Amino acid sequence: MNITHTILFSPVFLPLIAAAGILFIKSFCPTSIRRIAEYLGILIGMVLPLLLVLTLYPIVQNQGYIETTIGGYAKSIGIVYRFDGMSLLLILLAAAITLPSWIFSRKEGPGHSYFTALLLIQNSSIAAIGMTSDLFNLFVCLELMGVTAYVLIATGKKANAAYASFSYLMISSSAMVFFLLGTFGLYKITGSLSYEAIESGLETLSGRDQYVALFSLLLIIIPVLLRVAVMPLSLWLVDAHSKAPHAVSALLSGVLLKVPLFALLRVFALSPLASSLALPISYAGAATALIAVLLALSQSDAKQLLAYHSISQIGYIVSAWGLALHAGISTTTGSLLLAASFFHAFSHAQFKALLFLTIGKATDAANNRNVYTLRGANQALRNMGERVPLTMLCFLVGALSISALPPFNGFYSKTLVTYTLKGSLHYTFLSVASAGTVASFIKLSRIFLPSKHPMVFPLVKERKRFPVSSHLAFILLALSCLAVGLFSEQTILFITGLISPEEAQTYDSSFFFTQDNLIKTSITALAGLVLFGIAVSKPGKHVLHFLEKRRGGFTDLFLGFATALGALALFAW
Amino acid sequence: MVIERILIFLLALVGFSAIVGAKNIIKKVFGLNILNAAVVLLYILEGSRIGEQAPILGEGVTTIVDPVPQALMLTAIVIGVCVTALALALAVRLYKATGSLEIDTISERLRSEH
Repeated sequence: MNITHTILFSPVFLPLIAAAGILFIKSFCPTSIRRIAEYLGILIGMVLPLLLVLTLYPIVQNQGYIETTIGGYAKSIGIVYRFDGMSLLLILLAAAITLPSWIFSRKEGPGHSYFTALLLIQNSSIAAIGMTSDLFNLFVCLELMGVTAYVLIATGKKANAAYASFSYLMISSSAMVFFLLGTFGLYKITGSLSYEAIESGLETLSGRDQYVALFSLLLIIIPVLLRVAVMPLSLWLVDAHSKAPHAVSALLSGVLLKVPLFALLRVFALSPLASSLALPISYAGAATALIAVLLALSQSDAKQLLAYHSISQIGYIVSAWGLALHAGISTTTGSLLLAASFFHAFSHAQFKALLFLTIGKATDAANNRNVYTLRGANQALRNMGERVPLTMLCFLVGALSISALPPFNGFYSKTLVTYTLKGSLHYTFLSVASAGTVASFIKLSRIFLPSKHPMVFPLVKERKRFPVSSHLAFILLALSCLAVGLFSEQTILFITGLISPEEAQTYDSSFFFTQDNLIKTSITALAGLVLFGIAVSKPGKHVLHFLEKRRGGFTDLFLGFATALGALALFAW
Repeated sequence: MVIERILIFLLALVGFSAIVGAKNIIKKVFGLNILNAAVVLLYILEGSRIGEQAPILGEGVTTIVDPVPQALMLTAIVIGVCVTALALALAVRLYKATGSLEIDTISERLRSEH
């Protein structure tokens, strides 16, 4: 085993070792050492593997991928890890959001040792999901990621968080049983669990076995899409994301929704049978983008509004992703679509994490989460000891990014997605959804308007200090939004280069600031304003209130699951 | 052969109907366990059909049972136990907060509290 292979395992094993160390020290050592251990753990478990993995970048660019087995067993027995461009991108995505969230959680809660250890375990499972090329290993890693997510959601102080976590656990774990069933089906007809062997086994199938293979793939794909929260599989998301602590919400929306989606790429590559399923999924994504943004517009709770937005933006990502698979990843259109999809996933992670953290901080300061009644959030923040209104400024950066206005990252990623989708039905859906996004963010931004009534705050004896760590997290995320926007061309080239190196040479960025695009951006902004005007009018309020009451219960989660399974099975038939 | 498969299918149905239909959250957790057990049994049953001798290599042992499904199920059982423990811990927390184990009552009381 050479040094490259050792480096390859570092993002999986170093975080696990660091997490074990943190938990050990927490049990046996005094508080001062514990804190040092946490900082050290983050350094060893998150920063160090990231730097190590980046050294593999030239090899990935030249060879395409690196392959190795755990423990040096023969390939037919051992667990095979395959590190390619997508694995590197997923590890980068996880680290880019986890670090600011962790910094934020230090002062705003839940910043204890368990939390740091959980984050590390989660990052390890994400790296493993990105690299594994074995179906059963994928199951184990997805479950591990799921368990950390359930626990992280339940760290919320209110019992609501426990309920959200319980619902998510029940639906997701039941779905994973079906994943196991699908794995069994593929194992039975091909006699293997590794992607490579399954792929060659599926090529020679005939007759009844082909139906078994298709149905097994279906059973694998649907549970993973449940984690991605495409409608109608998204009912669990709103509670889970809005009731979790703010740092966790940022992580859930930013990272955990996207990792399973891009891990699915390898499952889709197994057989041409699977690619036929990609088209209906992309339509589901486009519909999700539109419906979820309407629901977002109707919410009165600030964090629920953001949660519905996550579903809507996932719709963008999924529709580009599905069309990429439909066209074939190795084709020019396919690889550009996939790059667009990942680019939007990445910038969505940045601005949504920023929005969750700033809105969380502001609503906590004012102790009110209702967007209709909360005004003067800035005064409330000042009362908490904030001198410069950085929270509001960073929120604005996030809001402008998600509304796709230049020069922030959202403009570039959304334009790239819609540009690559031009001419399809998805394009129309997504364009309407963009106007909805603008409208709902005008609605959300009103919480920073000065209040008409002077706000009464309880007198505080000592002067409060605003935590520096929160500001640091905001600024990190806001600057990265801006940086990705300003260096959009380099970012797109970096992503395309990792997905398919040949296409990166033919990429041309001249379409961003064409007349058409600028007109479209201004029309979207105007349409957003008009939509907002309609939303605050009397009939509009009536409709929105009606929509807000449409909330699913526990049983509806399973109804959504059955619907998705049935619909996709019907299509495959 | 057919009867065993039907029995496993029925077991899975029992588990699934408990998850969806039962009102008590502890029963829901049991349902999840039963559903898990059904899949574990399916793996073991179908795995045992390949070959006939115990998978311990020795003299004269040629047609061993495929050991892979059994090995996989060990991992799956461990994961199932973890998830069950977590779900029961959440159930305890919900009971402490709302004083009920019925899912409808819990969600109603949590909503009014909010």
